[in-house]
Amino acid sequence: MSAPYPAIHRWVVASSILPTTRKAVHEAGQGLKESGALWLGQRTETAKISAVVLLRGNGVEQSSGSWKVRPEVFGAVTRWARPQGLTLLAVVHTHLRGVPPRLSRADHEYSVQVPGVLAVVIGDGGAEADYHRWGWYVHENDRYICLNRNVLAARLILEDDYPFDFREADAEGLRVLTP
Amino acid sequence: MEPQVKPEENTPVVPTAGEGTSHDVEVTVEYLPAAKPFHHSFAESTTLGTVRTDAMQYFGVSDHQDRDTHQFFLEFKGQRLTNPAQTLEQLLGPHRKEAHFNLVEQITAGGRLE
Repeated sequence: MSAPYPAIHRWVVASSILPTTRKAVHEAGQGLKESGALWLGQRTETAKISAVVLLRGNGVEQSSGSWKVRPEVFGAVTRWARPQGLTLLAVVHTHLRGVPPRLSRADHEYSVQVPGVLAVVIGDGGAEADYHRWGWYVHENDRYICLNRNVLAARLILEDDYPFDFREADAEGLRVLTP
Repeated sequence: MEPQVKPEENTPVVPTAGEGTSHDVEVTVEYLPAAKPFHHSFAESTTLGTVRTDAMQYFGVSDHQDRDTHQFFLEFKGQRLTNPAQTLEQLLGPHRKEAHFNLVEQITAGGRLE
């Protein structure tokens, strides 16, 4: 794997990050529009998620069938995250009720295309609480591959709660949120 | 003892017709998913298009267009740079020793986008 992207074998997630993310994207989309968030952390062999950034507002386009994040928002998150050594580890977004929580062709092609990055799809507009029923994908060998339940159990480590940063971002910058 | 003066500080820059005196700029480009930034020294006459291309090669990413366009941009001080012909000198002013950029992209997802 090339120098910018050290291999990731496992992801460590605080148990409360999952419901915090789900609740945030659900509220941001209200079951009517897709929405999403980023998970950030240090990119190491065992990568610990240490920040959840909900993307909404200026520079984020939400509709019933798509979710687009303008480069200015990506830039705002970059300016906040990189000086702290944080990298993008996962893009989490919702699909609305009736749309399976699987990556669509657009999800495959227009999301971040970097080795080891996770793509997580929460179904039912973010109302699906069971993370086993979310879509879990990792970008490997130039494409996203689905992590089945066994692989997910081996590579996703749920830890007891630890502190993490919870923010929202738009093109103007980032603001602290309360879980 | 005479104070030492670095040659570049003591030498007037007098470009001649068709031949500029080019200084190097230490460029750093960060990309959010990458653990390590792109570092390279470029002549200040280098265009932003070249910097963008070299950084994208380092990060292993590329523009592509299908039904939608997925394009990467350099960002400088929060501003997206859209003129690839602009040189580092034109952007930064003369004799800047370093510059810090971010490589940014648009994320598009959608359950009903096909």
